[in-house]
Amino acid sequence: MNPAVVQAEIAQLIQTLGTIGAPIQALLPAAAVLLVALATVPAWRPLLGPAVAASAFVLLIGEIVLAWFHWRLYDLAVVVSPDTGRIVGRVAVPLWVESEKLYVWALTLALMAVVIRRHRQELLPGVAIILAVLMAGASLWGKPFTEPLPSFLGQYFGYLQAMASGDPARMFGAYQGMEGARQFYYNTIYMWVHPPALFFAYGTFAIAFVATLVMVRERHSAYETTSYRWARLGYLPLTAGMLLGFPWAIIAWQGESWWWSGKVNMSIMMWLLYTALLHARLYLRRRSMWKWVAALSILAFLVLLLTYLATYIVPGAHSYL
Amino acid sequence: MTDLVRHKNWDFALTVITVALLGTLGVQSFIGTLYIWWATTAIPGFETTGYGDFVWWMNAIAAPQVIVLVIVMGLCVPKRLFDRTALVVVSGAMLLVGLAAWVLTASFQTGLAVYLALAALIQAGVVVLTVAGARGPSYLTEGRLVKTGSGLLHLGFIAFAIVVVALQRSAFMLPAFWIATAFTMLGTVMAFYADRLAWRKSMRVKVDRSFGNE
Repeated sequence: MNPAVVQAEIAQLIQTLGTIGAPIQALLPAAAVLLVALATVPAWRPLLGPAVAASAFVLLIGEIVLAWFHWRLYDLAVVVSPDTGRIVGRVAVPLWVESEKLYVWALTLALMAVVIRRHRQELLPGVAIILAVLMAGASLWGKPFTEPLPSFLGQYFGYLQAMASGDPARMFGAYQGMEGARQFYYNTIYMWVHPPALFFAYGTFAIAFVATLVMVRERHSAYETTSYRWARLGYLPLTAGMLLGFPWAIIAWQGESWWWSGKVNMSIMMWLLYTALLHARLYLRRRSMWKWVAALSILAFLVLLLTYLATYIVPGAHSYL
Repeated sequence: MTDLVRHKNWDFALTVITVALLGTLGVQSFIGTLYIWWATTAIPGFETTGYGDFVWWMNAIAAPQVIVLVIVMGLCVPKRLFDRTALVVVSGAMLLVGLAAWVLTASFQTGLAVYLALAALIQAGVVVLTVAGARGPSYLTEGRLVKTGSGLLHLGFIAFAIVVVALQRSAFMLPAFWIATAFTMLGTVMAFYADRLAWRKSMRVKVDRSFGNE
């Protein structure tokens, strides 16, 4: 491996991604404004369905571009042992980390919005507004096409520079860090299962939240049934995703303070609230019980948002701080 | 008061307790997050000097709540199979055995593990009885699937609690974890989608209604 050549090829790849993806990234905030307008002006509502479908299509095209970028990056991002000079492996960066998290959440929700059937007309405005926020956030905050994977590329470029330095201590330190990240983070099955499972759950919970708001407005149990159907669909991957995190955390975070850490606490709280919601709704028919169910559903979604944000706010093992 | 009304009130009370316990555990998690946020920024070197104590306190506060939650599961899931008084007596006896294990070994963790193991045995028995109680394809009725699913997912939850409490450093950790995960997921699917999995639909169709001025 020639570190300078690898770095130059990756830089070229990033530039190509920017050239292809920048128009998509710029289109997202504009589409978000359009979605909010169509959702809030009743006369324009008939156009909301096609607009949501068009947004899903644009996001999907963008995801294909990102997948291509990751595939090329996998070819280039090799890890070489300084002892033997041999390639020990390639870094398979998942498509839902760092700058791409909000993008994947937006894509998931957009695809779900396209397939909503029950109470579609009532749910679509609320879902479109959440989708607009996610799309705007993915573009303006995430910047997956123009500033891709800042943490990974920062570490990998640092590794390449260390390898080019010829300083054995520096080379070995950088190699250990990069190989550790490859084995216990990027290339683990966990990282390829846990985040997408949670983003799928987040998408369904967003729709369940909107259905709850419609239930509060219309005061009718039919909307609660819709909310429940989406919530139960999300509860499965949420539970599976969180459970799968446990053995991985024991191995990957050995020696680190992760049990009861901020993000873990918030995730547990979110799961507990959705579990409480699914229990409470069994008695929806009791007088005034629907208010408790609605309150739990709204609270659970707010905690979901806090759980997502906790990664960026609360320090700890599961934090990007 | 008829038996049916008494049953319904008992079921409702158990559900309210379950929701309340899940809520208090949630509040604990939230307060824990706020504390850890404050402590890591305000106390220099907190991760090395104070984190151990924090985890101890969080475990100590959560443990009784989890125990009550497991007791409620023990009363709730098999309520159609056994007499209520018998369930209360068995739950009390299990708690006493757990306490005895705690006292004899001077280890709260062991006492909790013994209690959870007994709860898992009872829950496994409930699942077996639910399945065995049906004859032929009637097992695949909607109601039976919901009950079995509910039993399985609660068993999975208890098994996962055992993994966390007692098996983190054991060679059995991963097999036990996968069994717990399989029970939880299978149980959840059966409980949530019984209407689609059912061989024969047997549950009442619930009619949607307006909440009016409630």
